Amino acid sequence: MKILPTTCPACNEQLKVKSLICENCSTEIQGSYDLPPLGQLSIDDQLFLLDFIKVSGSLKDMAGLLKLSYPTIRNRLDEIIEHIKITESSRQNKREKNK
Amino acid sequence: MSEIALNSTTTFQNRLTQWLFNPFMFVAGLPALSAGLAIILISGFFCWLGNTHFDGVIDCHIGLATQWWIFPAEGLINWILLAIPLFFFGLIISKSSFRLIDVFGTQALARGPYLITAVVMLPSANLKVGNFIFAKLTQTTPVVAVNLADIFIFAVAMLLGILMAVWMVVLMYRAYSISCNVKGPKAIVTFIIALIGTEIISKFAVVWLLSNMR
Repeated sequence: MKILPTTCPACNEQLKVKSLICENCSTEIQGSYDLPPLGQLSIDDQLFLLDFIKVSGSLKDMAGLLKLSYPTIRNRLDEIIEHIKITESSRQNKREKNK
Repeated sequence: MSEIALNSTTTFQNRLTQWLFNPFMFVAGLPALSAGLAIILISGFFCWLGNTHFDGVIDCHIGLATQWWIFPAEGLINWILLAIPLFFFGLIISKSSFRLIDVFGTQALARGPYLITAVVMLPSANLKVGNFIFAKLTQTTPVVAVNLADIFIFAVAMLLGILMAVWMVVLMYRAYSISCNVKGPKAIVTFIIALIGTEIISKFAVVWLLSNMR
């Protein structure tokens, strides 16, 4: 399976979606769309969140699943939350600038 | 060596390094507290056998024979007195919520290297050479003569003692960093303040314990 890149390999900036295509009728939509907040995370973070949802958001169960300690899991989750907050606030700043 | 074999060796080395210098990635909370308390109590037993005193958070001295329970009590005092300020510093500088049991559990486990120190201080040669050096420095007559084997054992014990002290301080910082989710200059500065402050307070506490309880 191909992995969707989220950041530019040349300058490390966040990538945008330029085109979307319907595989059924080949309709193609072009534009400039932001990736959804979770889609902007690294693959590792996305897989981490996927596992986290699968264990019903239990940090203890997650620690058992990944064989890591409770604070290690909680710290990782805090880092992801911080990343999402920064992404959201920078997106909001851009919107306000564009207005 | 194939690439897969090389990768598995590297992974094993990384995991070993993490277990040695950052075991709190894998263990915290109640398991760390149980293991840490066991380590402190077993260290206390070896200290009693060798008359080794942990009379300060990172201090280690040999010589004074006293009641058996003083030795594990010293370890418990050192552990609690450091965990308390680190917990409060964590409350002040951490942006995360964290558990008391993680701070106390990981700090207890961080005292693991001093179990090795308690064992390497067991040979009587350490006390003999210690007394000999003290007598020389104070220009009094040496009580006992020392031979080359005694000096060798003493040198190895001192070297291991220093290594264990460094290892323990590294573990204490890692424990603080992971359990309170703090890193960077703020974490380092608060850790140093807590360590120095606790070193002074624990010194007084152990001296009080030795002078009033034995």
